[in-house]
Amino acid sequence: MKTKVRQLLEEGRVDAFLAYKTIHGVPFPTLFTKENVDELEEWAPFKARYPVTKILLAQARQNPGKTFGVLVRGCEERSLYELFKWNQLSPDKVVVLGQACTEDLALYCECKKPFPDQLDYGEAPAPVPRSRRLEELEAMPETDRLQWWLSHFNRCIRCHGCRDVCPVCFCTECSLEHKELIPARKLPPDSSFHLVRAVHMAGRCIDCGLCEETCPAGIPLRALYKRVNDLVENIFDYQTGVPDGKSPFSMLGDESFLPAGPR
Amino acid sequence: MQNPFEPKILAFLCNWCSYAGADLAGVSRLQYPPNIRVVRVMCSGTVSPHHVIHAFQRGADGVLVAGCHIGDCHYLKGNYMTLKRMKFVQELIRFAGYNPERFRLEWISSAEGVKFAEVVRDFTEKVRSLGPAPSFEASPRLAMGL
Repeated sequence: MKTKVRQLLEEGRVDAFLAYKTIHGVPFPTLFTKENVDELEEWAPFKARYPVTKILLAQARQNPGKTFGVLVRGCEERSLYELFKWNQLSPDKVVVLGQACTEDLALYCECKKPFPDQLDYGEAPAPVPRSRRLEELEAMPETDRLQWWLSHFNRCIRCHGCRDVCPVCFCTECSLEHKELIPARKLPPDSSFHLVRAVHMAGRCIDCGLCEETCPAGIPLRALYKRVNDLVENIFDYQTGVPDGKSPFSMLGDESFLPAGPR
Repeated sequence: MQNPFEPKILAFLCNWCSYAGADLAGVSRLQYPPNIRVVRVMCSGTVSPHHVIHAFQRGADGVLVAGCHIGDCHYLKGNYMTLKRMKFVQELIRFAGYNPERFRLEWISSAEGVKFAEVVRDFTEKVRSLGPAPSFEASPRLAMGL
């Protein structure tokens, strides 16, 4: 990592590079520039995950003229693709280096693609195509499932952590803060809080699972959004987190979607 | 004597087609059940998933969204959006454990007063047979864990 990032910085291909620095034994996302390039460390696999593309987006918004480099995992690269597609970041302002996840991290995440397309560091572990958690949920009878979800939504303390950590939640105005749609001063919030967020995740969620990890109430949000992704794939034949295509919800009308006239 | 269950149905009708269709049903003196509460919206595409889920939360037993036929939208393509969005919402509430039959999307033009009355009759009977909707509200009293 040392040499590649140093090269990028010294050749002037990037103004700053978002990588990791070990602080108290934990890798922590740090912005490297020419000034602190000597603090770069050798790459080693690690399990900590951060919303690096969200940090990158904040940096890019503050410094619109600058080019940034970033070290990404598979999920983070998928979120980059989404941010490009939703016109939040410009692909020519971002230089990507990729790292593979460890095998146990891939198993923990039940990740379909635990490595980036641009793989510079580490060896790609085997993808996990099926989610056991989701299958268990789908096997549950309908009425039990409602109670199961409500018993989880019940613990929500409305910290908005799931939204704030989400790398593809880029809106500057959020309908979850609308006082009429989600009544204020109510705890737990209406279950529409989570369901509407799930609708907003449709065609965007790249299954990084940071929402579930950050949730102080331990709500199994990842299962919900994994299902959202499956639905988008089944109904609209669209996959999130790939470089091409456009979310079916971002287009107003798709003529090929339906024939005109009464039915 | 116990009152029989009367379902509450919230209907979002688009201003240009379905609301006019309901109007036609009215002036044609067509009979349909009074269980329906109408919210007039400018386009069925303006109905957000927020509104549908909110309606269930506030005790609606059924939600009907009606708009112009595909290709007839006053705003040209608003109902394409409705179709995509509502199909998705329906599948999502199924996953959340809610009966998706409590939700219906229909295309009713301003000339289809008869169809409007039929849809309301049919939907009311359907929801009546399903019984009162389960609570959709996360409440602190709910037992943890199931």
